[in-house]
Amino acid sequence: MSPQILVDGLIAGSMIGLGAIGVTLTYSILRFANFAHGDYLAWGAYFALALSGALGSLAGGALAAPIGPFSFGWSLPLAALAATALTAGLALLVDALLFGPLRRRGSSVIILVMASFGAALTLRSLLEFTFTSKPFYYTGELQIAVRFAGMRATPDQLLSLAVALVLVILVHLLLTRTAIGREMRAVAENPGLAGVAGVDVRRVVRTVWALGAVLACMAGVMAGLLIQIRPQMGLDLLLPLFAAAILGGIGSVPGAMLAGLIVGVGEAATVAVVGAQWRAAVAFVILVAILLLRPQGLFGRSDG
Amino acid sequence: MIDLFGYGAFFLSMALTYAIICLGLNVQWGQTGLFNVGVAGFVAIGAYASALLTTPDTPDRLGGFGLPIVAGWIGAALAAGIASFLVGALTVRLRADYLAIATFGVAVMVQLCLLNLQGLTGGPFGIGFIPRPFAATATNPALFAALNLALLLAVVAALYLGLERLLRSPWGRVLRAIREDETAARALGKNADRFRLQAFAIGGAIMGLAGAAQGHFIGFIAPENYQPMLTFQVWAMLIAGGSGNNRGAILGAIVVWGLWAFSAPAIAALFPPDQQARAAALRIVLIGVGLCAILLIRPRGLLGETRTVSRHLPKAKPKP
Amino acid sequence: MTDAVLATRGLVAGYEPDLPIVRGVDLAVARGDFLVLLGPNGAGKSTLVKAITGLVSIHAGSVTLDGAEISTSPIHEKVRHGLAFVPQTENVFTTLSIEDNLRLAAQVLPRPGRAGRIAALYAMFPDLAARPRTRAGALSGGQRQMLAVARALVVEPRVLILDEPSAGLSPKVVTEVFARLAAINATGVTTILVEQNVRAALATAASRSGRAAILVEGRIAHEGPAATLADDPIVAELYLGARREPEPAA
Repeated sequence: MSPQILVDGLIAGSMIGLGAIGVTLTYSILRFANFAHGDYLAWGAYFALALSGALGSLAGGALAAPIGPFSFGWSLPLAALAATALTAGLALLVDALLFGPLRRRGSSVIILVMASFGAALTLRSLLEFTFTSKPFYYTGELQIAVRFAGMRATPDQLLSLAVALVLVILVHLLLTRTAIGREMRAVAENPGLAGVAGVDVRRVVRTVWALGAVLACMAGVMAGLLIQIRPQMGLDLLLPLFAAAILGGIGSVPGAMLAGLIVGVGEAATVAVVGAQWRAAVAFVILVAILLLRPQGLFGRSDG
Repeated sequence: MIDLFGYGAFFLSMALTYAIICLGLNVQWGQTGLFNVGVAGFVAIGAYASALLTTPDTPDRLGGFGLPIVAGWIGAALAAGIASFLVGALTVRLRADYLAIATFGVAVMVQLCLLNLQGLTGGPFGIGFIPRPFAATATNPALFAALNLALLLAVVAALYLGLERLLRSPWGRVLRAIREDETAARALGKNADRFRLQAFAIGGAIMGLAGAAQGHFIGFIAPENYQPMLTFQVWAMLIAGGSGNNRGAILGAIVVWGLWAFSAPAIAALFPPDQQARAAALRIVLIGVGLCAILLIRPRGLLGETRTVSRHLPKAKPKP
Repeated sequence: MTDAVLATRGLVAGYEPDLPIVRGVDLAVARGDFLVLLGPNGAGKSTLVKAITGLVSIHAGSVTLDGAEISTSPIHEKVRHGLAFVPQTENVFTTLSIEDNLRLAAQVLPRPGRAGRIAALYAMFPDLAARPRTRAGALSGGQRQMLAVARALVVEPRVLILDEPSAGLSPKVVTEVFARLAAINATGVTTILVEQNVRAALATAASRSGRAAILVEGRIAHEGPAATLADDPIVAELYLGARREPEPAA
């Protein structure tokens, strides 16, 4: 495999990994596969688009001027920060209106999955209604790729990769080293016992939605920065997200990231060898393989 | 007058093709509790299989084989049934939502193949000139429409009666027991998986048949007809009608298809001509909100589930 | 009755709204008491204690802890009020270490008191102190039960409720566990014990001058001092006779 494929794959895979962490966390705590997660990514990207547009025009263009070697100005990182809060708000709103009432009624997993499917289509079509299906970009600036050891990558790409890795490490530390992380692990294993042990399960659920949405938003902003922003972007990423979450083992944050990178590299290799039109098949092939060979995933427990 | 009849027949015929998909989904979800997020994929498999078998020989793709329409329909049911069996076999012993994810993956994969395997599927432009039933009467539009409607009515009626019989057979009762009684399902163990798998394959075959019926009724098929939107519509139909209830499945298909068809001009009228894409998106938002609202407010649907069968169930006992 | 630390009044509870399993239970547990809840299979013992702790929904009636109504407060709030529960199965977090199991429970306490409380419990359960990093899933049945009890004690509960702590344990370990429960009760913790192991439970309660209540078909059929109940003909017929699987008295 050429080193360039590896670089392209890792960059794409880091976005998939971030999204997959959200899927794996909400899955392990709320016990259902959320088909709307891809659309949280897309909403995050559009939130950041609207905000950075507003910020860019606000200060007479000063915030829109590119920072150093990057293609974007300060308006984008600032907008991305605010967008994470808005995306978290969106996820909490959907939970309050839809999943929460269904959960309290004791609905089965499948009703929740079905509701998430309905939420996904609604959210996606709302984006299409508001922004039309026309693609958008955060910036019109062109970038010169950096070359090293026969590989090339743009500064934006390298920054995204670095941000993704930092986020993964932060989430991993949050889960393993903090009180709320311990509570999240406890609820994932046994929500009833967690309540008996004094954990406010509803607060943990809200935290998990917010955390998953923040990561989804960051992944969405990266996808928007490196590729483009379209209402369909969440739908297109959904299968890779699920494949990575299952491959990594439901509940495992490092697993989801590593699996995301594997899916990303697999996609890059497929694009290079077979052709770009078959990129989307990679996630399916990986999904089938993992379900056949090791359904609990790379880092999952078999009782999962 | 003729126009009104023609439109009515067309509307009802389309609704009936959806009713067939709904009946298939009802076998999977309503009777067995298996969740299929890839309905569009299985319908597409049926539509394309039948199109390949029945269209006249075409130079730039495989086939067609010019077979009679009946052969196409049988082929469609077989192809979609086999695809369902394979996906089911992969996931039936795993968590319920892994099946959902896998079927979603199938729909994505089918869409990809439809677009890219040009030698088989005709690519983005799809397949045209699919023979229509009673083509000989096409010169008399009213008769042609009436005959097609009658054919679809007959198919729906036959499926309805067949499924109702199946439901009341020992096989159907075991299926119901598996869905309603966790202990019974566990006691059956591997056998429960086998029953589920059979139901999933039968449901998939019916969806394939529906795809073929739809393709032959319209006369052409293209990948864009088989987006997740289709899955979503069929879900809305079944949920609205009442899952587990075959009459509800048919009623839901007609009601939701009616709302869908008549909301198009209503919503389109609210938007200027250059904003029609927005109108289409808004329509999907409305149906999405509608589905969620039904799940929240009236989870049993319009008709709800007929519980006559399960009442006669013998109490399942664990094996000694 | 005035000194009841925990009391239920007309308590009706169950898993399905139209299928109550607990059907009107009036129970008053005095401060420092050791109460054994007995009853045939399906009598609703487990459901009763789960309803009190908030794991099963209450359809009617009240639960008071030191006079305060707690039937509507969420589970985690009840823990904060001093009501601790050890479920019969899945009563420790198997994926967390011993230390994390205890620290999770200690999060209810004010921050400065947490480390001291955990150290005190390690002193009480030296087996656990020996390997705080071990995942609870790797412990033996008896050790798991000790960890579950220790976890429940972290919050210094006023009332400790245990659902069949002897289930699945060897007779030797059961003796150990019950001796431990008696010792905990001696420190002033009101103890409610649901048990199938009738002789050992009654003996333990009797050693603490405790009481016993018999639940039949969701109602309390009989109540009295544990020491005399052991000799009661009804109890003898229900539990201590030759029949292994007693039918509820008609």
